[in-house]
Amino acid sequence: MKKKRTGVLGLLGNLILCLFSFSCIFPMLWIFYSSFKTQAEFNQSSTALPQALDFTNYISVFTQTNLLTAMGNSFRNTILSVTGILILAFMAGYVLSRYRFRGRGLLYNYFTMGMLIPLHALLVPLYIQFKQMGLTNHWYTLLFPYIGFGLPISIMLVESYVKSIPRELEEAAAIDGCSFFKTMFCIVLPLASPILATVAIIQFFAVWNEFSFALILVSKDTLRTVPVGLTMFKAAYTVDYPRLMAGILVTMLPVMILYFSFSKRIIEGMTAGAVKG
Amino acid sequence: MGKKKGKSRLGLYILLCVLPVLLIYTYVVIIPILGAMRFSLFQWSGGADMKFIGLKNYRLLFRDTEFWKAFQNNVWIALTCILGQIGIAFFFSALLSSRVIRFKAFHRVVAYFPATISAVVVGFVWSFIFNYDFGLVNAFLRAIHLEKWAKPWLDNPATIVFIISIPLIWQYIGYYMVIIMSAMTSIDPSIYEMAELDGASSLQKALRITLPLIKNSLAVAVMLCIAGNMKIFDHIYVMTNGGPGTSSMVMALQVYKTTFIKSQYGYASAMSVGILILSLSLVIISRVCITQPWRKEKDV
Repeated sequence: MKKKRTGVLGLLGNLILCLFSFSCIFPMLWIFYSSFKTQAEFNQSSTALPQALDFTNYISVFTQTNLLTAMGNSFRNTILSVTGILILAFMAGYVLSRYRFRGRGLLYNYFTMGMLIPLHALLVPLYIQFKQMGLTNHWYTLLFPYIGFGLPISIMLVESYVKSIPRELEEAAAIDGCSFFKTMFCIVLPLASPILATVAIIQFFAVWNEFSFALILVSKDTLRTVPVGLTMFKAAYTVDYPRLMAGILVTMLPVMILYFSFSKRIIEGMTAGAVKG
Repeated sequence: MGKKKGKSRLGLYILLCVLPVLLIYTYVVIIPILGAMRFSLFQWSGGADMKFIGLKNYRLLFRDTEFWKAFQNNVWIALTCILGQIGIAFFFSALLSSRVIRFKAFHRVVAYFPATISAVVVGFVWSFIFNYDFGLVNAFLRAIHLEKWAKPWLDNPATIVFIISIPLIWQYIGYYMVIIMSAMTSIDPSIYEMAELDGASSLQKALRITLPLIKNSLAVAVMLCIAGNMKIFDHIYVMTNGGPGTSSMVMALQVYKTTFIKSQYGYASAMSVGILILSLSLVIISRVCITQPWRKEKDV
């Protein structure tokens, strides 16, 4: 009798989880198959499968919109920002964890305090500041806020990780006459690569998906990033939903592929950062 | 002599390593805070004409019912999300840790997936889902012959704050699920075995054993949730843009509109300072409230 009850409960539990998992995927599937429909077809029935594989929407996404440029911009911003964050956070994190110089504690608190600052409180003053210094609307504009806001958590993660690496190797290297920067980059860097991978994962998604700074600091069409590009795309084709869906899908594809190929590592990395932060 | 030289060189190297970070971080994070405080004392619409008006902007802000309404919306969304995200995530994690559940790895990967999508896409997808004419919700209701329940979901001011919380909850369940599950795996399985020998049910195990043992991780999750929901912007910008009327307005969106639509730079700066103070104090209060009692418990 007991066994039967747990069997029913187990079935119910499985069912609930499957339903939820389905709800996580189905919207994407819906967008995928709807993007092959014509507008008339979609208006007739929004849930039915498309009658034929019609690539018109995709062709128009590639030829008539700026979404490809936006993807290029997003890639450039993401790669440069993440690289910048990795190098700067590694250097600062390493020094802060290994050397007890004067002002170290103060500096560490100053940097990590940034994690508490809500970035939307800085939108207006940052916009004014960038405008006055002529820093808006350049290809490098967004690198500043992305790197600046990515640094606090990255420095904290690197600092605490380097602390856990034994010093012996560095001491041996120092005795052999290895220089400061050579020790840092040739000996410590490889040992710290797991945490750098975590930092890269966190920042990759943060920068790729970032919206507010991209919205206010860049207004030139050719410099827009994917999230802003999509909102502009929507404004231009308000009622043509299948075409908008094709656009969403195209811009999501690279990240989706990345996520489903490295999901285990990505999940670990993103949550490790959150919990420690 | 040589040692001293080596020491000063080391000092230089250290400086070289921290200086770039110091400069960028100060320029992007710290100077704007000071900037907001300065600009908030002026009446200014972006041009050359800046008029010093002291604390008048703050006096206006205190009486600005729209701003406080937006703040209230932020708080409501945060509360709904704490219950929804963490509550459901706890329930799912407890399910996933039980032996009868299949495809655990699959559920984890799929449930986490929404957390990696941009908020803009999530906003779009859910505005499609809630759409009156062809949205999935109404299509489903019509399919099961409940047409009268089909509604223009995003157009009802009375329920809008609840409706826009649904995509937020949906997006981050997987995220909190992973946090909670990693806490659960650190619980000694022999505790459960003993409880089972004593005849504890699954529900009892979840509430009497798991919950108290992972409360630290839950506290972290609650704090993340509060901090995350104070800065919500993208979802709402895409789904309702604060509407209908101002019924789904949140603080970040209001600052955006005050700056870029009304061009009230001074007042928007005062609002920014307000946001800074409000969200910092909420984050700190939640941190103190949640961690303090347990710390004492540990000391005893």
